[in-house]
Amino acid sequence: MTLTAVTRYLPLLLLALLWEAATRIGLVSPLVLPPFSDVIVAWVDLARGGELLTNGLSSLYRTFSGLGLAIVVGSVAGFFMAWSPTVQSLLQPVVRLFYPMPKSALIPVLALWLGFGDKSKIALIFLGCLLPVILSAFNGARGTEQALMWSARSMGASRLRVLLDVMVPTALPELLSGIRIALAYSFILLVSSELVAARSGLGFLVGMLGEGGVYNAMFAGVLTIAALGFAADRLFLMLSNRVLRWRE
Amino acid sequence: MAGVEATARARAGASPRIFEVRLAGAVRGLVPYTVITVILLAWELFAHSGLVTPFMLPPIEAVAQMVWLDIATGSLFVNLGATLYRTFVGFGIAAVGGIAIGLLMANSRIVNWLLDPVVSAGFPMPKIAFLPVFILWFGLYDLSKIILIIVNAVFPVIIATTSGLRAVEREFVWSARSMGASERRVRWEIVLPAALPQILTGLQVALPISLIVAIVSEIIMAGDGLGGAMIASARYLQSPAVFAGIVEIAFTGFLVIKAMEIIRARALAWHTEATHTVVL
Amino acid sequence: MAGEPQIVVEGLRHAFRPPRSREIVALNGVSLEVFRREFVAILGPSGCGKSTLLYVLGGFLQADDGRVLVDNRPISGPGPDRGIVFQHFALFPWKTVRQNVLYGLERAGLPRAERERRAQAHIDLVGLGGFEHSYPSQLSGGMKQRAAIARTLAYDPQILLMDEPFGALDAQTRSLMQSELLGLWQRSPKTVIFVTHDVQEAVYLAQRVLVMSARPGRIKAVVDIDIDKTGTGVFKNPVFVEKVDQIWNMVRDEAIAAQEATLQ
Repeated sequence: MTLTAVTRYLPLLLLALLWEAATRIGLVSPLVLPPFSDVIVAWVDLARGGELLTNGLSSLYRTFSGLGLAIVVGSVAGFFMAWSPTVQSLLQPVVRLFYPMPKSALIPVLALWLGFGDKSKIALIFLGCLLPVILSAFNGARGTEQALMWSARSMGASRLRVLLDVMVPTALPELLSGIRIALAYSFILLVSSELVAARSGLGFLVGMLGEGGVYNAMFAGVLTIAALGFAADRLFLMLSNRVLRWRE
Repeated sequence: MAGVEATARARAGASPRIFEVRLAGAVRGLVPYTVITVILLAWELFAHSGLVTPFMLPPIEAVAQMVWLDIATGSLFVNLGATLYRTFVGFGIAAVGGIAIGLLMANSRIVNWLLDPVVSAGFPMPKIAFLPVFILWFGLYDLSKIILIIVNAVFPVIIATTSGLRAVEREFVWSARSMGASERRVRWEIVLPAALPQILTGLQVALPISLIVAIVSEIIMAGDGLGGAMIASARYLQSPAVFAGIVEIAFTGFLVIKAMEIIRARALAWHTEATHTVVL
Repeated sequence: MAGEPQIVVEGLRHAFRPPRSREIVALNGVSLEVFRREFVAILGPSGCGKSTLLYVLGGFLQADDGRVLVDNRPISGPGPDRGIVFQHFALFPWKTVRQNVLYGLERAGLPRAERERRAQAHIDLVGLGGFEHSYPSQLSGGMKQRAAIARTLAYDPQILLMDEPFGALDAQTRSLMQSELLGLWQRSPKTVIFVTHDVQEAVYLAQRVLVMSARPGRIKAVVDIDIDKTGTGVFKNPVFVEKVDQIWNMVRDEAIAAQEATLQ
């Protein structure tokens, strides 16, 4: 956005130039690494042909549905755990049990249960993003200060109001940071499941192009996915900082 | 409101209400096991109820049988071995390489300028997307998987190393210099050990990532390994075997995290942090 | 100041039960009376339970034994009739000064225009005019405490509970805030219960000083402060100095006793 950002990412531009030079000179075989300009051309073709858009939308729909559900369910669950010791002692073992398991292990099961379409991906992303959100909501809410809650109560707030007016804003910084992590997971799980069991989506597209030997388009697809993940993270960061501007 | 209030009041020095004390005492120890037992019971009941087919939710016996079969035939160890081999080779290279790169970046402005955008742009990217490229370059066997693991695991290590090194308190460095230590000594004997906790945190994050990427790449590329075995079972529609695979992978994940905790505790025994753990 | 007391405490007992140790009796048989629009200070060594007493009065903690009556009725939980100001300000960090001050007014269900008017009036009253849209993280300690006071005064509670409100401020700011608070109270008197460990502060601000014993806390002595506090030089007034001395001796004995208790 600014000059500093440009200078910061300048080496990437150098990398791209290096890429182009190396392939054009013949340092690297174009079979293995298509020239950067070819990749750009292929990208434009994909965009014009509509495959990029349809598959892209499919992928983004799955990611944000799964993530959105995980945010809603996870934050409520996390807040509930902080709010009630009973709920906490019930949910805590469940969270601890499932925490170390790589959620991508669920790809085959979910494909068996829900098929090769949107549902299995959304379910996978939901499950994979749920724990980081629950944990961050819980940890964020747990730190709510007594004096703040008491102040609100003495000003006439009911217990429920205190939950909404004090606990939730207190938890927000940590919750947002958990959501940022979940966002990264959502892309990873999306691509993984689309490479294994899908009929549409950017991961599927890239896999198909790879199998078909259309490498310049494959590279274009791969870079698109990488760029989307990066952009989503940066956008979320900007949004977070705006919401949390009250911090020092 | 009880939970948050109880925690806050406890911190403010107030006493818990009576029912909280009672709940805390005897029950708290038993609850985790109770919850797990309830889940297992629910699974079993649901599987036998007729509401779902054995294909969709095989009963626990069928899954246990598959796990047992895997152990008895030795295939569990073969696959586990393959997965762990890739995980640890990839992790090891990422760890050494990551720390080295981190050191370079912290000590050289040029290197930092060159690599920082790569690191900060690369970190949030779903690097799994590069798997097709790696398959193209490195084939369908171990090498591409290990390289993907390295590419994924190296980022948290680099970031933890650079921020750990930068955060080393100036007072440490100044004390050492005023006692006559050379730049080199300061770097290796003061700064690096002081940055160790943070570096270890980076490693702690990188190891599970290595396992996850190993599993995912096995699932995508098939072949051997826990992930490969599981996707093969899925292709043959053997659902008890798929569930068995989930159990085995979950167990492996648990072991890996535990292993990392032990390593961290040993390595940081001298540090004040020894008593702290991040717990729910 | 005559007539029925506004607040009556009789034989109040409150104990803490920490998870894995023995019960700690914070207050044991505290009895006191506070009259309408009186400024009362509760003074005592650290750990004597004075804050605990305030929290019970505020309805945040429950009495294990004894009675606490406000306007002849037992209290049941916190409420807008008893406003509280904490030592560490307890401002909502995600709200601006204005939004913080509005909070109590919103809970009171006042119409919008009235809320805005009162909020602004109180912000100006404590001298924070111009800082309405600042966040607490942008304010100094003294300003934060003013904001906290404005927030509590805005919805006009009958009773003001103050828990060492100037304890977290540097000495100069504290001094300023003390005279401002006294001025505020003199202009529009309210019932104030002010907890502190600073004898001079207590004598300066209050009309009556209740001295608490070391833990388990009781009211050890009640001292009337009958000094003319208008004008400067109050702190040098010989009557003032003598009162401070007198009360300090009472407190010192308790402070020593408290120290010895912790050493055991």
